[in-house]
Amino acid sequence: MIATSLRLLIGSMLFMVCFNSAFAQDLTGYDIMKLVDDAQRRTNDSSFSRMQLSSCKFGVTNGRITCADRPRVKSLESVAKNYGRELKDTRVVTITLEPAAERGIGMLSYTYDETGRDNETWLYLSALGRVKRLASGDSDEETEPASLFGSEFTTEDTETGKLEEYTFNILKETITSGREVWKLEMIPNKDRAKKTRYSRQVHYIDKERYVVLRSEMYDQYDKEVKRLMASRVELVNGIWMSRSLTMMNLVTNRLSNMAFVEIYTDLDIEDEFLSQRTLNDAAYRETELEKLRAQLN
Amino acid sequence: MSRLCKIAGLILIFMTSIAHSQTTEQPNLGDEVLSSDEIIFEDNLFDNVFDEQPSNSKDSWLENFTFTVSQQFYGQVNNHSVEPQPGFSFPREADMENNRLGINIRYQNGFAPGWLIQASGQSRTYWKHDYEFEANNKKIDDEYRINEFFLQRSFDQHSIKFGRQTVVWGEAVGNSVLDVINHYEYRDFSIIDIEDARLNQWMVVWDYFGGDSNWSSFINLYPEFNPAPVRGSPFFLAPEFNLTDYKRGGDVLAEVGTQWRKSFDLSDISFMAAYLYENQLRYDAPVSGIGNAVVKKNDFLLLGFSANRAIGRLLLNFDLAFSQNVLADSFNFPGTSALSSPLDLKKDQIGTSFGFEWMVDNDQSLSLSIQAQKMLDEDEGLLPGQQLVNEGVFGSWLVRYSNVLLNSDLTLSSTLQGDLNGDSLLALLGVHYTINDNWALGTEIISVNAASASPLVFFDEDVRVGLTITYSY
Repeated sequence: MIATSLRLLIGSMLFMVCFNSAFAQDLTGYDIMKLVDDAQRRTNDSSFSRMQLSSCKFGVTNGRITCADRPRVKSLESVAKNYGRELKDTRVVTITLEPAAERGIGMLSYTYDETGRDNETWLYLSALGRVKRLASGDSDEETEPASLFGSEFTTEDTETGKLEEYTFNILKETITSGREVWKLEMIPNKDRAKKTRYSRQVHYIDKERYVVLRSEMYDQYDKEVKRLMASRVELVNGIWMSRSLTMMNLVTNRLSNMAFVEIYTDLDIEDEFLSQRTLNDAAYRETELEKLRAQLN
Repeated sequence: MSRLCKIAGLILIFMTSIAHSQTTEQPNLGDEVLSSDEIIFEDNLFDNVFDEQPSNSKDSWLENFTFTVSQQFYGQVNNHSVEPQPGFSFPREADMENNRLGINIRYQNGFAPGWLIQASGQSRTYWKHDYEFEANNKKIDDEYRINEFFLQRSFDQHSIKFGRQTVVWGEAVGNSVLDVINHYEYRDFSIIDIEDARLNQWMVVWDYFGGDSNWSSFINLYPEFNPAPVRGSPFFLAPEFNLTDYKRGGDVLAEVGTQWRKSFDLSDISFMAAYLYENQLRYDAPVSGIGNAVVKKNDFLLLGFSANRAIGRLLLNFDLAFSQNVLADSFNFPGTSALSSPLDLKKDQIGTSFGFEWMVDNDQSLSLSIQAQKMLDEDEGLLPGQQLVNEGVFGSWLVRYSNVLLNSDLTLSSTLQGDLNGDSLLALLGVHYTINDNWALGTEIISVNAASASPLVFFDEDVRVGLTITYSY
């Protein structure tokens, strides 16, 4: 735990150094995305979060994006911890709180950074009466990225790493949402192109806080198919992050908002909590969650 | 049958109006508009989420409850006749079978560190035209049942659960030879999946969670048996004698079992052993030919092994069971009673279930499982001319497919189920639509085809249509 804290402290200090604008001037597109990626990974480590996923059909009324129907809402509680060499593997337990029909569904995922090593996922449904392994496959396979809980977010939209498989171009420096940003283009290499749904992505990255404020995803015909808007950028445990992400699917005209209602990092989380027991043993899970909640106060 | 159609139509109109009432003014959705930079994305579109109080403290005791209210209509819609034996046929008229309101309540509360109480129960109200209504002298009937009710204590590496609960063994989806701990009830065709038919029992379950391996043991001091078909239900075949429950008298019955499970990279294995009673009772005809059947229970020893292996999007499953001293002449098709033949033998049995689950893509999945069993030393103890009901290799197969559409709002599912001899085929096509966070609608079509050798022959060419509307909160 002390080692983790030390790593985070050093990481945060290094990160803050990067705020120096003179240093920022020398950054390449890859360097910028690496800093963004590292920050995102740190927000996962030893974290507890309550998320609300809201999805709706959207449209434009009086020049403003609005929901055309009442959003469908899922409320989730999630605990994550990084493992492995350079802490690049991640274990996540997610429990569904709402809607009532899905309450208590639990999922445990082990995501491995190592190329060729299949990720592992277990699911607990009360109807099944036991923990069940799922055939989830390798996220690097040439398959469509999985939707996150039926939302417009996919695993590809939220995963970290694999930056070596892209080339980056800083298109220009501009203003977005009142902030100075780099407009940065991210193009997959030949191998990555087989695995991604996007022919290129354009990110608007806050020059001071290294947070993506807006992203545009383009298909193979260079048509914008998805757009990500970020808001409520706040400093969480020394890391700038967006607590409200909205993904608009411009093909289906549906959007999903992922709101981190609460997020806490650098918590003391037992390794055993990221195991099948958490799905199977509700008394243990609730006790451990209470311990985590106690750390939040 | 037009009655069912009318009700279904009214429900659909009602649900459509609910869905429509939630749609606000249709905004402009043109491509040009959306790609314009002039469009304003309101940062605060979902900010109300952050304004709500964090749910850290469970202020309301109601938060521990989940309620589901459902109304179900089911009916046999195909006018035809069935000929179970040459020269003997009877008509099967289209008729409503289920018209019932169900309320399910679930409660879970971790009331102190390491302690948890969980309970669930259900009530059913049988309206006019439901077979339970007809069997109750055409009066509205009610039924209540406690499903789960257990207290759990977890400490260190241990967890102990005491109360009504389920223990599921085996890997094969819905068709495992090892899934025999809990008893089950197939009351009608609205329940054909074992996950829905399984009944809880009063047990003590002790789990030990090691590093990569777990022990799970149980003791059941009140073993229960599959209930006899309810009078009036489609599965009630009106024998000349009464099918009654097992009368315990002063008998003290107990079941006990243990399972060791270990996880490897991409694989899990389990070994298990148990002393059990067969879930299905055996009914002998009374000496007088009328009155109550002579009910016989049977205890046996089960040794088992199960394993799975994930290969990309494919998950392979395998179960193996050795059962010592099972009754040789029990039928083995869900929903049928074990009406005895003249044999009264116990034999050892070997069984396996195996199959796969394949995630075709993120929205579609397909699973196949085959269950096959065989009595050992089949001919031993038989008189000349006698033969076992289940002779040779017998069992069943099960295929399930599901396709999730519209951001998980719409699920199409299909189930095919049959016996290994090819004597029966049960096909289900289901559509489940989630209207919003509370309302959901499900429709099903089930067809049965069976040869005279199958216990399902009485339902041959039946086609059932079902509609269930559900409200959860």
